[in-house]
Amino acid sequence: MSNISRRSFIKRTVAAGAASGVILSGVNKIAGASETGSNKVGTLIDLTKCDGCKGQKVPACVTACKSKNESRFPEPVENIQNYWPQKKYENWSDKRDLTKRLTPYNWTFVQNVKVDGKEVSVPRRCMHCDNPPCVNLCPFSAMEQTPEGTTQVNPNVCFGGAKCRDVCPWGIPARQAGVGLYLKVAPKLAGGGVMYKCDLCYDRIKNNQSPACVEACPKGAISYGEKVELRKVAYEKAKDINGYVYGDKENGGTSTFYISPVPFEKIHKELEKQKATQPNPEAPGFPTMPVEVGNFLDTANGMASAVLLAPVATAFAAGITAYKTMKGKGEE
Amino acid sequence: MAKEKILRHSGLVRLVHWSIALSTFTLIITGMFQLPLARRYFIDQLPGLFWTGDYSITVLVHYIAAAILLSAVSVHVVYHVIRKEYNLIPRKGDMKESYQIIKSMFGFCEEPKSDKYLAEQRLAYAYMAFSFLLILVTGVLKVIKNFPTMQFSETFLSWVTNIHNLATFMIIFGIFAHLAAFAIKANWPLLPSMFTGKVDLEYAKHRHSIWCIKGVGQKEKK
Repeated sequence: MSNISRRSFIKRTVAAGAASGVILSGVNKIAGASETGSNKVGTLIDLTKCDGCKGQKVPACVTACKSKNESRFPEPVENIQNYWPQKKYENWSDKRDLTKRLTPYNWTFVQNVKVDGKEVSVPRRCMHCDNPPCVNLCPFSAMEQTPEGTTQVNPNVCFGGAKCRDVCPWGIPARQAGVGLYLKVAPKLAGGGVMYKCDLCYDRIKNNQSPACVEACPKGAISYGEKVELRKVAYEKAKDINGYVYGDKENGGTSTFYISPVPFEKIHKELEKQKATQPNPEAPGFPTMPVEVGNFLDTANGMASAVLLAPVATAFAAGITAYKTMKGKGEE
Repeated sequence: MAKEKILRHSGLVRLVHWSIALSTFTLIITGMFQLPLARRYFIDQLPGLFWTGDYSITVLVHYIAAAILLSAVSVHVVYHVIRKEYNLIPRKGDMKESYQIIKSMFGFCEEPKSDKYLAEQRLAYAYMAFSFLLILVTGVLKVIKNFPTMQFSETFLSWVTNIHNLATFMIIFGIFAHLAAFAIKANWPLLPSMFTGKVDLEYAKHRHSIWCIKGVGQKEKK
């Protein structure tokens, strides 16, 4: 044991640390490759054009979304059980006609606010984030980010724990109890239904069609296309009107860009006021617009390099210790 | 008169063992709280446990504990590979020998002579090493996929997630079996060695005679 040479020590230590090294170099490579990817899609919502379909009971985008996705809406069992030991469950099946908030039966809606004397209508739905915490943190990988950059829920895997909604800065996904996989496992003890949200009409996208809301908008306020292009257009238009862009910096970047003639900080404040007047102000489903809101994983990702580098450092330290103790033994 | 002792585990080995034990315990707890359990079951309302209902805290603690576990495992592997210490690697005939050890506990036969570790300890180590390999590889992949701009296929991530969750249960089972071993009186003398590093020489001579003979042989060589 004591006949270890300096060369074989270095060889063994380097070999042991190599695996971690490969992982770390891999991070940069893959990250670099996806940066240049141009298959990402997005939407641009021009608030100078949207008027919330004034005069109509329900905005056209909302109607189009509902009718397109109707077949996917949840049909819960009759006797929905409480989320034991809590004495409640989330049920929207008797409020299917609600169009003034997000529900499992309404995946987009329009908020109306008055800012600086201007009436602003804001269509709301999932922003389809670049690094979606909902997808990353789902404990069962029931959510997916598609190669096109949209995010979607797999209703066959979703257990309805609503963690995706907790980590979403806008609390977008809506939960319906009494449906889904959890009913087949331990419905009283674990799970809570299935989460529902906009998937940017992924089936239509795959067929080279634009999302239903885009097609239905009578004002052409929602554009669909290549994300990189839309982002450019958003900033150009914002510059032209001396306006503002929302969705590019929020949550680490999204594929939804809003252009507004008024600052989003003011829209956010108005929305907060409106949220406070909701029947249950604490409930998600009525998102505000926090400007430059951070990503839930920012801190964890900041620490991640330490998680990956620590074993490399300790491997070298262990190698040196092993070598020293063996050398020591040999000289005894 | 105090019993004569023999060194079984060095300070570094004990440090690695307890680092793995404590970080694994922390990882299991914070891993469980990645599920929406704490608020549903009012655990976050118990004194001092408010943090269990906050994913931003539990995920950070999970990361810190993962860094400790990864470091301890890398020390374990590198240190023993360099020193060519493979006492815990299963050997041919370990299954049969484990069966004999269990039979001997019920007085059906005499316990076979053991090396530093019993045959069943070597098998348990292989099980735990495999479970830890699964959880660490999938855990590292889960950390990587959280980086901005990282994108893997849904199928790949489902496999990673499911293997990570399965390995968690494999490790919990392994820990139970590991602790259950100390319900057997014959194993009690080993317990102090995880704290002091030493076991009674008489016990070692009796149960780990192959190890003791090797130790004497090595000393004589020197």
